[in-house]
Amino acid sequence: MTAHLTRIKSRLSIHAHRKVRGLLEGEYAAIHAGRGIDFNDLREYVRGDDVKDIDWKASARSRQLLVKRYVAERKHTVLLCVSTGRSMAALAGLGADSAAPTSKRELAVFVAGVTGYLAVQHGDVVGLVHGDADRQHVSRPGSGELHLERLLGTVHEAITPEGPPGDLTALLRHVVRTVRRRTILLVVTDEPAVTEEQAMLLRRLTAQHEVLILTLGDLDPTTPVMAGRRLLDVDAGVEVPPWLRRDARLHRELATLVADEAQHMRRRLDQLGIVQEQVRDLDGAVIAIFRLLERHRHARRR
Amino acid sequence: MWDSDSTAFRWPWLALGLAALVLVLLVLWLRPWRRPSRAGAAYVAHAARLRALPRYRTLVRRQVVLGTCLTVAALVACSGAVVLAGRLQQRQTMTQEDRTRDIVLCLDASGSMAEVDAHVLREFRTIISGLRGERVGLTIWSGAAISVFPLTDDYEYVIEQLSAAEKAFASGDVYSDDYAIFTAGTVLDWDVQSQMGDGLASCVQRFDHRDEERSRAIVLASDNEPIGTGIFSVPEAADYAREEKVVVHGIAAPKTAERPAAVQEFEAAVGATGGTFSLLGEDGSTRAVIDAIADLDAKPIKRPPLVQVLDRPRLGTWLLGVGLVGMALLWAAQGVLVVRDRRQESL
Repeated sequence: MTAHLTRIKSRLSIHAHRKVRGLLEGEYAAIHAGRGIDFNDLREYVRGDDVKDIDWKASARSRQLLVKRYVAERKHTVLLCVSTGRSMAALAGLGADSAAPTSKRELAVFVAGVTGYLAVQHGDVVGLVHGDADRQHVSRPGSGELHLERLLGTVHEAITPEGPPGDLTALLRHVVRTVRRRTILLVVTDEPAVTEEQAMLLRRLTAQHEVLILTLGDLDPTTPVMAGRRLLDVDAGVEVPPWLRRDARLHRELATLVADEAQHMRRRLDQLGIVQEQVRDLDGAVIAIFRLLERHRHARRR
Repeated sequence: MWDSDSTAFRWPWLALGLAALVLVLLVLWLRPWRRPSRAGAAYVAHAARLRALPRYRTLVRRQVVLGTCLTVAALVACSGAVVLAGRLQQRQTMTQEDRTRDIVLCLDASGSMAEVDAHVLREFRTIISGLRGERVGLTIWSGAAISVFPLTDDYEYVIEQLSAAEKAFASGDVYSDDYAIFTAGTVLDWDVQSQMGDGLASCVQRFDHRDEERSRAIVLASDNEPIGTGIFSVPEAADYAREEKVVVHGIAAPKTAERPAAVQEFEAAVGATGGTFSLLGEDGSTRAVIDAIADLDAKPIKRPPLVQVLDRPRLGTWLLGVGLVGMALLWAAQGVLVVRDRRQESL
């Protein structure tokens, strides 16, 4: 039952020597708007902690930077918003040093899991909105690892190659319509571009929520890594023929197009004041989440 | 020459079966009804972006053209192989109907007859081309008879021989080498020459297939001016010819007219066999003899139709060759395009 979360924790512990987990927690803590007034304890400073929280006297005594921890004033809600169309069942793009691409499904579960785990560790509640073109569904926010595991299982099961196509617009509209409380909204999608309608919905959502977007990059079908394997276009259900995938010029043109689209999307989201990061593989995912949280913190401070 | 001519497969069922097999394999290969199997395949999303690229359209157009041409070439090669396997054959039949006329040219080779012989030979050569199935032989005689060539329907050979004989006689010079060589053997004894009776009897003996019902004719050219005595007298020889049912057409040399007895004897002998007689110089031609020969009753004999079956592998070989060469060229073109792309990439 706890398969997804166990995997996520073990992967995070691989990064433990880099203090990734602590850093992530710091970044996560830092994005919260309010802070409780009841002092809880002191802990070692990690990058991302607010400098205002450093207990200078205690630090001078113990010769290491210590920050004050307070009991949170109230519980926050982290709402995981995952697009679960069939395109999410396809392979994700290759990371900088990964040999084999992972499925976007695993990647979506992972990034949702890491964020959700941080929230759970922090005592916050985690909810889930997921859906495709046919139907959208909201799960009630809850706390605890078991609840998170259940949410991750829901996401994992919802994504199949035979399922309906993804529809981010419908999903965002569903969030607008159904979610009343103020949340930290983490949108996990694989859309390569933002339509005007989506932009409008996102603008509407930023007024209520703290919106973070993680986009999952697609596998380039012309990559030489996949040369020996058959590739099916999950949207159209047809094969991408091998003679097409060998062409170097096509590879270059596609790479240019994808880079252009990514840049365009990022610029559009910047205009909306929404931070967005692209995730390609599991290793890069942790870094991407960290950068997302950090960028969000800086964005808020301005 | 050939009466009927038809082209068909030796093994039509094999050709049909192979053609059907090719069709079935084609359909199985294309499988238009089947969606690609999902086993062992990896999924990519948002591949529609790929289709929007100009390079994609170029590649697809190229692949469609090359693929279509390759398919056509392969089908041409297959059809060639099918035609070869079915073994295309041409069947020619010839109904044979030989006319059974045997004609022996029976020429007096004595010196006085040279010019007349040349004339007869020339006339005869012109009618050879009109003959079909008739057999012609040439015998010359003086004191003794020799066969220049026996009865044959090899007209090419006949014309060749007649020309040679005409050349030998036409010189008119009895003392020329040509004449001497050609008539060598006809005179055994200088005291016995120009024996028409012996000559006619010898010519009658030149006919073969005595048991068959054939029209037999002799064209006898002579001046009937014997020196010495032979074995057969002219009437005896004529009787012999009549017994053998051989029609003798006589052509007398112009000079014969000086000796009415000789002419009479000649005419009587010829008349006894039912043939025509003409005195050369009367009407100046041998036309009457030729006409008489044409009128000879030709008894057709039936022979089973000649059937010849010829393999015609040419069409199949051509189709196969064109198809294979086309495929090789297209593959080469494909390779050239790939190499060109690579070179452009590396630049």
